[in-house]
Amino acid sequence: MTDSLILGLSSGSACLATCGMVMFPYLMSGSAGVKRIALDLSLFLLTRFIVYFLLATAAWYFGQGLFSNQIVRNIVPGILYVVFAVLLVWYSLSKSRKPDCPAKIVKTVNNRRLVPVLLGVVNSLGFCPALLLILTKGATQLTLVQSYLAFLAFFIGSSLWFLPLPLAGRVKKKEVLKNIGILATGLAGIIFMIKGLTNIIGGIING
Amino acid sequence: MKKIKLIAGICWAFAALILIVVLFPALNGLSASFSKLPFMKLNPRYTGGEVVTRTVESACTLDIRKPVFTGFFKERKSGFVQVDWRGTLPEIINDSIDYDHDGRKDFRIIINRKESKSNLVALKTNVKDISVSTPTSYGWAVRVNLNK
Amino acid sequence: MDNVLKSAEMRKSVGKSLLYTLPMFLITFIFMTGGKPNFSDPSATLALVITFGLVNILYFMMHFTGRTDRYRAVLFIIFALSLSFTLIRNMLEMRHSMSFSQADLLECKIPFCHLVIPMMILPAAFTKSIIFPGSIINGFASISSMVVLWLVATIVLGRGFCSWGCFYGGWDDGFSRIKKRPVLRKINDLWRWMPFAVLLMVALTAAMTLMPTYCSWICPFKAVTEFEQITSVESVAKAGVFLSLFGGLVVVLPVITRKRTQCSFLCPMGALNTLSNKVTPFTVKIDKKVCTECFKCVDICPLFAISREDVKKGDISLFCSKCGKCVDGCSKKAIHFGIKGIPAGSMKNFSRNLFLFVSFLFLAVFSSGPIMNTLHNLFKLIF
Repeated sequence: MTDSLILGLSSGSACLATCGMVMFPYLMSGSAGVKRIALDLSLFLLTRFIVYFLLATAAWYFGQGLFSNQIVRNIVPGILYVVFAVLLVWYSLSKSRKPDCPAKIVKTVNNRRLVPVLLGVVNSLGFCPALLLILTKGATQLTLVQSYLAFLAFFIGSSLWFLPLPLAGRVKKKEVLKNIGILATGLAGIIFMIKGLTNIIGGIING
Repeated sequence: MKKIKLIAGICWAFAALILIVVLFPALNGLSASFSKLPFMKLNPRYTGGEVVTRTVESACTLDIRKPVFTGFFKERKSGFVQVDWRGTLPEIINDSIDYDHDGRKDFRIIINRKESKSNLVALKTNVKDISVSTPTSYGWAVRVNLNK
Repeated sequence: MDNVLKSAEMRKSVGKSLLYTLPMFLITFIFMTGGKPNFSDPSATLALVITFGLVNILYFMMHFTGRTDRYRAVLFIIFALSLSFTLIRNMLEMRHSMSFSQADLLECKIPFCHLVIPMMILPAAFTKSIIFPGSIINGFASISSMVVLWLVATIVLGRGFCSWGCFYGGWDDGFSRIKKRPVLRKINDLWRWMPFAVLLMVALTAAMTLMPTYCSWICPFKAVTEFEQITSVESVAKAGVFLSLFGGLVVVLPVITRKRTQCSFLCPMGALNTLSNKVTPFTVKIDKKVCTECFKCVDICPLFAISREDVKKGDISLFCSKCGKCVDGCSKKAIHFGIKGIPAGSMKNFSRNLFLFVSFLFLAVFSSGPIMNTLHNLFKLIF
């Protein structure tokens, strides 16, 4: 669970930096006070939780079918870890990283009550490298419970960054937090790269 | 206000001066006091845990420590137990260990000190493998990985 | 009270410099001899005399020339080299190897260094224990004494600890002075936030694994102190990482950029000390009345602590380690050491004198042990 939590914590910051900046105006629109924003945020997080629960289930069942062989269970995810980790590092450092995310689509929705729910769906289904990594991890767990735990840790790690959002207007130095988050994402990518290489070497040795 | 800030700044700077001048002569005392704080003890993952049983056999002492399952929030599912041999040790150490004091042996350790080879015979399913087996300044230490 | 000097010079006469050096002279003598001078061993006495002379001459020169950084750097670099020499010599004598063994880990014989502190905090709070195989109170570099030293120094100096206290900083400080001009000039400003990302990662991974992950995996200074015995693929990988990081961040990059890249881009302790810059009474100020915005200080600063925006605002960032390089390098003498609460441009001499005494005293006493030890051992070898 440690690496899932770390992945969530590091990618959540970058996610907040991009998607959060789209969400924030919606949360602050109208005469929303802190209480209203907190309610919207809770809806958003609950939706993310449900989507991650479904993804964990789907990933595990998919993995059961694909990674039946012990060696394949080590080597293939190891390769995937390395590939997605490289993407994560590139994502964190890329100058062409877009400042917004699929959350922009909710601008087309008229019903304000649906916005947090839709944002939750779009945010959790945004297939960024971090999500791809956690999907790989979920698919390779031995039991369904372990897959749920991995996604739970990822959810907790990524959600922590959204919690101060109701007070975001009062938070200075957002740019600093964004920079740290982006670099932390890159570091998390390196950690997963090492994990992937370890899996590959372990799989080769055991094979 | 500006004058207050100025005076406060200068006072704090002089306080810093006094702190640095006093630091080195008072270091031993400060360190001793600091070491008494509740968190200033080594984690059992590093110390090996407290000694629970000490058995003296002629010139050799066998220490069995408390199993360590320490985690960050709560205890972990896997951990280890450390066993130490002290004093004058035979060339081949062959001991059966009951670390949980239930009257039944949990594992057997066979150590060939000359060849630095160690073997573990697990007598219970939760005993996994040897994590560390090494000569020490006091004799020999072994850590055996366990599941809870 | 001191006003802005017309020539903005910090130089003093010989007599005045000697007067300012006298308190340092007396205090360092007492601290270095422990209050009980013992001259029975000729090589130890010679080591003491040389070290004592060195620190006081450097302090005298700081006052006499009005320049800070070059004299600070001499002692800082010698400190780093002598500490490595002392550690390596001790290890070779005791273990015939630079590596520590499983037994050393089990018996908690690993010397503690301040770089572990950022990783200790969360586990200490949650598990009420220290995650390091060292000695709490007794022996060389015990945990308690190192934490107390760091705590007081960081409260007093803030990130000044990185230029006046850290016994590793001298390595990349030294290498950054080799070339006269940088080869690589343009470095993205984003990278200076890397230590905070590293701090976040090592604090979390250390808390989750109950292991000082920075020390285990990415400390470059393992290459010049001690490291795990190479007995497995993992330990080979670790050794490779240590050597690569030392070679890259401590040697090559400082040489080609003239910046302290390890301190600026990796060290989590630097990130923690940056936060303590809020507490320290000492600071570096820009006198906007004199500043011509030539931005020379931006290029000079080894820790990316000054940006063009900072100069325009007249405010140096929290990354400043008060090394004095910008103070010495500013041709208009617009940058000076200051005390919080005193406006920029006022009481320059007073602020500098007070800061220098505090910071140099710490550096002098902290470094004297390893330096004397190194000299003593060298003399024993030679004579």
